[in-house]
Amino acid sequence: MASNKYLKLKNKWVDKHRRISESLWTKHKKHLNWLSENSKQLAVGSLGSLILISSPGAQNLNPNQTVKTEEQSLIDKSTFLITDLKNILPSEIRPLTSDEEASVSAVLSRDFNMNVRPEIEEKRLNRSYGLIGAEQHLARYPGDTMSSHFDSQEETSLYYSSGMAPGLGAWRYFANSKESMTEEENLREKYYIAVQTFLAKDFSQRFAEYRDFFRFRKMLLVNPDNGRAIVTAIGDAGPAAWTGKHLGGSPEVMSYLERYDGAQRGPVLYFFIDDPENKIPLGPVK
Amino acid sequence: MKKAFYSHLIDTSSISLALGDMELTQEERIHLISLVESSLHHAVLDMILSELNEGDREEFVKQLADEDDEKIWNFLNKKIDNIEKKIRNTAEELKKELHKDIKES
Repeated sequence: MASNKYLKLKNKWVDKHRRISESLWTKHKKHLNWLSENSKQLAVGSLGSLILISSPGAQNLNPNQTVKTEEQSLIDKSTFLITDLKNILPSEIRPLTSDEEASVSAVLSRDFNMNVRPEIEEKRLNRSYGLIGAEQHLARYPGDTMSSHFDSQEETSLYYSSGMAPGLGAWRYFANSKESMTEEENLREKYYIAVQTFLAKDFSQRFAEYRDFFRFRKMLLVNPDNGRAIVTAIGDAGPAAWTGKHLGGSPEVMSYLERYDGAQRGPVLYFFIDDPENKIPLGPVK
Repeated sequence: MKKAFYSHLIDTSSISLALGDMELTQEERIHLISLVESSLHHAVLDMILSELNEGDREEFVKQLADEDDEKIWNFLNKKIDNIEKKIRNTAEELKKELHKDIKES
């Protein structure tokens, strides 16, 4: 578990790093693009804006790295994603305008090669950009407990402390039984989010229709500050409006996005994924 | 690990030592130092590119790509007055901020 001191300093330095990196890229984009495309020198912006803001696991990459890798190319894309989103998103965390949502949809669809939209079948949530809070694990099937919940010792050590919600998700269990649970059902819980379905326009008037529409609906969540994206499933309704939070993420979702609850909470983008053939897998988008 | 062409001008040991006094895991410390080094690198490149004219910027990034430190220094010394001092000042300014952040954390 990372210490508060580390998190506080890391967050400060990530912000500082981002400002410095953006200043460099804004002024000298043309030359830096050339440098990253035509040499083995570092892809300056990529490292600047992304890898280093992520986690201690990235420590092997630094400004002096001279080998351009496939991973670096991927990071370059994310660097542009961060910059693109920064140019679209407002400085305050508020519902996006239609124009802003359209621009974000275009950027996310392009960068992640999937059809990402704020609205499907004329149904939408109350917002698509908001503060995310931490949720607990949910029981996947009758009898699922904290001792049966994890697939590996590593997962147990990482996520056990979040605990399990005392009640079931909005759609009750994810699977009928442990024996019948499919991998997709397992992943729906692992990567679930809670969204404020009850605040969607017309939700009360067309309850059954909306309930069925939202049930395990895939959504793409993106942390605009680090470019991390994850395909999630709506697994619960919440949080209550009075909490000041706009959606919740499972412990696994929060961990991947590097979002925290409490004073350090931050915003994410959450858009529907149009995936009628169910081809897009749940989980982190690499 | 290869050093940057300006590494001899910038000393980050004071920051490493300050981080050493904090209760951090080795991974956390390395991560923070990586952030420091990368931030310095970006700040130095920003300063240099901002001092050069358009044609010289193109030449500079080509030399950077070639990783020929001697060539880079010959070029920068011709194109920018007191380049070493300017690199040191850029780094010192940032280091001051970073030390302040450490104290406040």
